[in-house]
Amino acid sequence: MSRDALEVIRTRRTVRAMTSEPVPRDQLERILDAAAHAPSAGNRRLQRFVVIDDAATLRVLRMVSPGMLQRPAAAVVICVDVARAMEYGFSATSSGLFIDVGTAAQTILLAAHALDLGSGPVTSFSKAAVSAVLNLPARWSPEMIVCLGHAAATQPSPVGPHRRRTWRDLTHWGRLDSNANTAASS
Amino acid sequence: MNAASADEGVDGTQAGSPTTMVLTEDEALELLAYLVTAARTQLDEAAEYGPLRLLTAAQRLAGYITPRVSPETRALLEGPIQHVPQTATRSADPDGYAASLDTVCRVLAEHLVARYGIDRGAR
Repeated sequence: MSRDALEVIRTRRTVRAMTSEPVPRDQLERILDAAAHAPSAGNRRLQRFVVIDDAATLRVLRMVSPGMLQRPAAAVVICVDVARAMEYGFSATSSGLFIDVGTAAQTILLAAHALDLGSGPVTSFSKAAVSAVLNLPARWSPEMIVCLGHAAATQPSPVGPHRRRTWRDLTHWGRLDSNANTAASS
Repeated sequence: MNAASADEGVDGTQAGSPTTMVLTEDEALELLAYLVTAARTQLDEAAEYGPLRLLTAAQRLAGYITPRVSPETRALLEGPIQHVPQTATRSADPDGYAASLDTVCRVLAEHLVARYGIDRGAR
């Protein structure tokens, strides 16, 4: 990375408003190279990436993706090769498949930020519609879209509770005692 | 789609009112695709995203028709409807979120009352 890794992690934000400036092909390729280095259970590499950077397809992709507030200059659709996963003995709903989608997505988000690009993950889309729009093979299931582009000057406010939780809010150190169990279930 | 009138007939056409196209085919298709796919995605995502998706649809519709509507409707579309952030959800502030939606509904109703003249006596 061209910037300190921890700084990139700490300063990344979801970008929900993007300019129309295109993302250069070489930057997309660097991001995809990073994604290919993401952790993958058993090094099976069951994720497939479909890159869209033409305006017409992006427009239609956005039409069928209610969670896509931004108008990205490019998008990476992360798919799971379900048929190949089943050959390994996974069920189509095995959590490991989606954990690997997450590691790939986070790697893409961080790589984009390291290159001074904005990015935003989208899971709210019709899989059936996206499959049709992109002419995906039936064995591939689209699981996440990562929008890429240059961040606009003004951004919508973040989704959900606005209080930032620290690592201390999210962490228990060691085995949980009874009090912590009660607190965790409330 | 046509501009509304108080004298709307059973077939949705206007009596004694000029008809004005307020959505292009592309705009209508984009909105329709959003609504249909949102219906599907809502089966899998947090229930609190339901109002968010509906508001986004309303805001997109408002964005399309604002240049082509009456000044009074334009004021509504550029006002409270756009004031609820696209990313606002109930969990961040349940009471405030409900209150902001109530405000939008109230202002919308006041606009409808004025536009259709129902404050000027029963028809």
